[in-house]
Amino acid sequence: MTTDKTTRFGKIEGKGVHIAYGKRRIVENLDLAIPERRFTALIGPNGSGKSTILRTFAALMKPSGGNLLLDGRDLTKLSTREVARKVGVLLQGPVAPEGLTVADLVRQGRYPHQQLFGRWSAHDQEACEEALMLTGTTDLSDRALDSLSGGQRQRAWIAMTLAQQGEALLLDEPTTYLDLEHQIELMKLIKMLVAKHGKTAVAVLHDINQAARFAEHIVILKDGRITAAGEPETVISAETIFTVFNVKTMVIRDPVAGTPLCVPL
Amino acid sequence: MIRLIVSLTLLLAVLVAASLAFGDVSLTWRELFDALAGTGEPDPQSAMIVFDLRLPRVLLALLVGVALATAGTITLAIMRNPLAEPGVLGINSGAAAAAMAVIVLVQDPPVGLLQAAGFLGAATMALAVYALAWRSGTSSLRIILIGIGLSALATAFTTLLSAFGDIGDVQRAMIWLAGSVYDASMVKVRLLALWLIVPVALALVFARELDLIRFGDLSARSLGQPVDLVRGLMIVLVTVLSGAAVAACGLIGFVGLIAPHMARRLVGGAHARLLPVAALIGACLVVAADLAGRIILPPVQLPAGIVTGLLGAPFFAYLLWIRRHDHR
Repeated sequence: MTTDKTTRFGKIEGKGVHIAYGKRRIVENLDLAIPERRFTALIGPNGSGKSTILRTFAALMKPSGGNLLLDGRDLTKLSTREVARKVGVLLQGPVAPEGLTVADLVRQGRYPHQQLFGRWSAHDQEACEEALMLTGTTDLSDRALDSLSGGQRQRAWIAMTLAQQGEALLLDEPTTYLDLEHQIELMKLIKMLVAKHGKTAVAVLHDINQAARFAEHIVILKDGRITAAGEPETVISAETIFTVFNVKTMVIRDPVAGTPLCVPL
Repeated sequence: MIRLIVSLTLLLAVLVAASLAFGDVSLTWRELFDALAGTGEPDPQSAMIVFDLRLPRVLLALLVGVALATAGTITLAIMRNPLAEPGVLGINSGAAAAAMAVIVLVQDPPVGLLQAAGFLGAATMALAVYALAWRSGTSSLRIILIGIGLSALATAFTTLLSAFGDIGDVQRAMIWLAGSVYDASMVKVRLLALWLIVPVALALVFARELDLIRFGDLSARSLGQPVDLVRGLMIVLVTVLSGAAVAACGLIGFVGLIAPHMARRLVGGAHARLLPVAALIGACLVVAADLAGRIILPPVQLPAGIVTGLLGAPFFAYLLWIRRHDHR
């Protein structure tokens, strides 16, 4: 474990990746490197392949061609269990069995670390408690998931992915269906996990301004191709937004954070 | 949890004792105790009734209940559909079709052949459903839809065959299919017990996998579960369990649906607790159904499958009713 610690950052790299649903090609020849220990946002219009790319990076879908590397190792050759030890995924609108408590949910995050006959260890317990603590869900741990608000539930799911103790965290539209307060709370949580706990976070986001404000690296996609990638300041421009989203905007400085802010014309 | 297990076991013991005592010739509790313990004035006739006639029957009912409930609990987890039971995999219709085919093709078939055919039919159907539903991976919805389609086909085949069969043979097949434990023997009980040990133990070992697969394919896979492998294995367990139950005593419906739902109400969703409780409830249900079938309309013996059907149909409606606003 400790010997390869230096290479364990959750760095994900795709080279010439092709992804298809049956015969329909979604992504062709994609070169995309996710910087480790940073917060990356994937943005783009509906059908641009954001979620598909995220799922492929999480090894939930097999690419039809190209190379996918996770910390330098071929992602497609790793077992699902090995991937799950390194990459936590928050899917869009996940559904838990009814009556499940937050603690039960978070405990599932230890699955990739457990053997068939293995017992629940002190380390497993510690990982769960830490995950609850980081997401501020410790007080909710005995509550049933279906009794929570949308924001609380989302934090509980993130706690589950944190209990996996992977280096990378992939989130598919984590803020959709949340009210503004909980959207901001969630974005701050992700930012904190990257800044203080060295996680590599990748989130599919719908709100360009939210991405520009909280993410350190933005990848803009259209029709399965990268239109621009880099820091928010360099990639968010009126021309790019127009070519990708077909919306005329003016990009100004966010008066609070100093990040780019798109205002539709 | 321990208190629940103890009370269910007590309930089961009472039902077993009642089944041993009541019937065409009813014994008093005193006579039953004497016959079981061999104390007092052992009456050879009551000892014969208890040990040779009723004990195998009760034990068979108990084991079949355990098998059906365990299979039902597993099915519910892997299909993630509250109305799914082993029958969804085509097990019942497959067994029925195979048994009917044997009856029509073989002159005066022995019961053993019927049972073997029933099991093979169930296994073939489950395999066919799984194979046809495979499209670079499995999906519970596809399995359910294909299961319903193939079941309808097999049922049509059964009906067609019954038109060609000798009327007496067809009637015998119908009685067997209705689900009865009447021709039980100690040999059969021992065989079924041995047959069930491995799949029931495996189900308990895989309790954690069952907990996780209920989250849905993508979630389970993202946590590192080889979902298709687990689902395939579990379908094998379900087939072995309910195929054996069908072979032993025909179709006893709804136990695989009622027992896991009741257990879930009592102990929640963790399968390490759910499986043993569901198994106990299943055993109670089939023993009670057989007992009720014998004492409701004496001297007529209603097959246990008809009693569970009478109980199960309203339960099915109740499940639909409480979920009428559930759009998930």
